[in-house]
Amino acid sequence: MLSLAVDAKSLVKQFGNIRALDELSFQIKQGEIFGLIGPNGAGKTTTLRIVSTLIIPTSGTATIFGLDTVKQSGEVRKIISYLPEEAGAYPNLSGNEYLEFMAKFNTKNQKELRETIEEAAKISGLGERLKDKAKTYSKGMKRRLLVARALMTKPKLAVLDEPASGLDVLHAYHVRQIIKNYVKEHGTTVLLSSHNMLEVEYLCDRVALLNKGKIVVEGEPDELKTKYQSQNLEEVFAKVIGYA
Amino acid sequence: MLKGFRNILIKELKELIRDPKILIGIIIIPIIMFPVLGLVIGYAEQTAIEQAQKTSLLVVNNDGGNWSETLISYLQAAGAETTIVNNLTSQQLVSQGLLAKNNATQFVEIPQGFTENLTKHFAGDTNITAVVNVYGIFNIGGIFSNIGSSGITNFVYSFNRYVAPDVLQTTQSSIIKGEIQQNVDPATLSSLLISQSIILPITIMILLTYSMQIAATSVAMEKEEKTLETLLTMPVDRFSILMGKLSSSALVAGLGAITYLVGYSYLFGSITSGVSTTGASLDLAALGLAPTALGYILLGITLFVTLLAGLALAVIISAFAEDVRGATALVGYMYPLIFIPSFALIYIDINVLPLPIKAVLFAIPFSQPVIASKAVIAGDYLTTILGIIYVTAFTLVVMYIASRLFATEKILTAKLRFGRRGSKKTAEQQE
Repeated sequence: MLSLAVDAKSLVKQFGNIRALDELSFQIKQGEIFGLIGPNGAGKTTTLRIVSTLIIPTSGTATIFGLDTVKQSGEVRKIISYLPEEAGAYPNLSGNEYLEFMAKFNTKNQKELRETIEEAAKISGLGERLKDKAKTYSKGMKRRLLVARALMTKPKLAVLDEPASGLDVLHAYHVRQIIKNYVKEHGTTVLLSSHNMLEVEYLCDRVALLNKGKIVVEGEPDELKTKYQSQNLEEVFAKVIGYA
Repeated sequence: MLKGFRNILIKELKELIRDPKILIGIIIIPIIMFPVLGLVIGYAEQTAIEQAQKTSLLVVNNDGGNWSETLISYLQAAGAETTIVNNLTSQQLVSQGLLAKNNATQFVEIPQGFTENLTKHFAGDTNITAVVNVYGIFNIGGIFSNIGSSGITNFVYSFNRYVAPDVLQTTQSSIIKGEIQQNVDPATLSSLLISQSIILPITIMILLTYSMQIAATSVAMEKEEKTLETLLTMPVDRFSILMGKLSSSALVAGLGAITYLVGYSYLFGSITSGVSTTGASLDLAALGLAPTALGYILLGITLFVTLLAGLALAVIISAFAEDVRGATALVGYMYPLIFIPSFALIYIDINVLPLPIKAVLFAIPFSQPVIASKAVIAGDYLTTILGIIYVTAFTLVVMYIASRLFATEKILTAKLRFGRRGSKKTAEQQE
């Protein structure tokens, strides 16, 4: 049996009076692409931030390949990579300099560093434009750079918050291709969040529908569509939360 | 070396140096600001001269003749509030504390033979002239506090013109730390000490504001672009991130300091040459008015810890801002704490202030470089060392809070919002 990549148990996150996560539990198997879908404010980003060691749950635990995100956050950071939603790069650094800066945290020597940057250049497909400053990049180019950064170190778990949101069709297609191919090639586990049901259906092995800090339904996309007699995941979601 | 520190430092430097806003701040702003400051200082100087003319005057009459009586009557008629003492040497007067008792900072000595010389002059021996000795306490406290002596000199000159040209001569002497320094003009000394009393405070003010701005912008930009969020999930010591930010800001600020100092010294070179014509030959060190090597070291340490305190404070403040604009605004609120005490201390002597105000000024870390710049000249190392200890403790507390902020989720979730009625509350970011 494959070991668990992520094991979240009864996660609760309280922000003042707001309960962002309410006893949230889920598991992700190694090599799986797992998608969190749900409306704004459902708790997707909060979940990803807990898994990425950025914030601490009010109660409950999350372990990444057996490592606790709170007690062993330093160890967790060595095996994960996190891509925040709508993140930017350093505007005055070139694409190459940005990749080099980030790669230095995960590499031990010059050879490894060079290989990592070459890998990122290949993933991003930005070619000669990597020599230009990031402030000259389009949104799509910037996102490709950041996705390449997130995957270049071959993390055991990649946490991607809305990886293709706000991108045009071609850039979004390219980003999804990167993720799909990369996982197939390297066996990386992916936890992603998205509003785009098409994206989720295309990429994810399993999905969890989140609403008001709770998972309302979880399963493989085809399995859910059959169960709820729906054409697509959008319809499943609407039926589950009672809109349809 | 901390893990990842070098990498962070190099990245930070690249980001900061390539920002056009920083270049504008370092090069363009001084060209506009220094002439404006020059006007302000000129106005303050004028006011100080006018006030000095109104101060009380002690006259030591060691002559006792008719002409000395005429001179005293003339001074009184010209509006000088005078107290007359007879037959006392200048050093006796200083030692007996008569200046303080009469609330005077200067005195005029009419020496023995004054009447005799004038009488001879008017009898036809025009080669004989009379001398009046003017003494003023040299005050390190404020830059224009020593201009009084020039006011007294003007009275004497005017008397000279009144009786006959070229009949009276004056000598200028300073009373420094209770000792009379013959023929050392306090006004000349004051202008020579401008570098210690003005350039340093103003440079540190500019240096502090810009470096705080740079540090705050740096953190806020990382928050705005979510690069900080990415960085915090990397296997890097969070204290390295903080130290990388503080160190690179301090280095860029140091570069700015050199530019400022060069420009500012050039500007003040012209002002100094206007005020002082003979002062260049005075040896400040021999008069005990130049900082010793220890003084310079203490001053350097004070500047460094104050700068670090400002940077750490800016990093904390910007952690509460949502974006660069917010961080700039929040840091801007700190500026009065830099400008007010520094400008005040350029002109006012902290030692003459009431204790509560003195305590408040001392408690503001940004006052310390100005206090130290005066204290080291006065040889008051205790005040300087206490200042360093205080600012270091302050900085450590601020850095501890900053490192705690960076170590927890507060760096991402803490926000300071200004409500409609201006009330502050913290809110948490969530999705």
